[in-house]
Amino acid sequence: MPSFDLSELQNDLLRSGVAPRHVRRTVMELTDHYEDLVERALARGAETDEAHERACDDLGDLRDVATAIRAQPELRSWAARFPYIALIVYPLTCLALLPAVPVIVGAAHAGYLARWVLCIFLSGLVTAAMILFLQLSIALS
Amino acid sequence: MAQSNPPFMSGVPELLLLRLLDQSEMYGYELVRSIRAATGEAISLGEGVIYPVLHALERNGSLKSRRKAVGGRTRVYYSLTGNGRKRLEKLQTDWRRIQGGISNALETPSHA
Repeated sequence: MPSFDLSELQNDLLRSGVAPRHVRRTVMELTDHYEDLVERALARGAETDEAHERACDDLGDLRDVATAIRAQPELRSWAARFPYIALIVYPLTCLALLPAVPVIVGAAHAGYLARWVLCIFLSGLVTAAMILFLQLSIALS
Repeated sequence: MAQSNPPFMSGVPELLLLRLLDQSEMYGYELVRSIRAATGEAISLGEGVIYPVLHALERNGSLKSRRKAVGGRTRVYYSLTGNGRKRLEKLQTDWRRIQGGISNALETPSHA
């Protein structure tokens, strides 16, 4: 069966600076189109292998698709269009977000965090009770 | 062998896509089938290349898209916007002008 693998196209486009959302959408639409072509060929009586082969042919050369996408600057990612600005903005954004990381991680793992806080609180309470007990024992003896 | 797209096809897919989407909302595969039917199979292109054209037309405001779940699949349906209609009128005018010019050139006896 002829292989229909879009990973090479996907990697090629991402490396060329095409915005990931356009790459995802192109891959989704091409896959859907390919499945339609296979279904059509099967409905016309083709064998499975032949149907896949015909679908690949009808879809055309994926290098042409990549070239057509790369030729459109408006489909490129923001960082690929303005690399020098991205070089400044990305590190600054990361630096600004750094203090917020514990909060974000905490919110993402709120359940674990709540159990951990409860355990710390209970162990503190037990320790305080033991110290109080010892203090009282010393005072009353 | 996979189909390629000769350079003279430049601009033709855009005109055809706008013309067909002026009639009704369609998704990629449906559009390719409609192009084949509307042109009497005269225009045969690698079907995958319509997606970059559709995305560029959407990006420049000529088309809008919406996702629709059909039979367990998510399809992207495209339709024409007001800007797209204006663009279609301009492309049709340009195309008729070029077509007229080429017809004249072909009808005029060539000089040795």
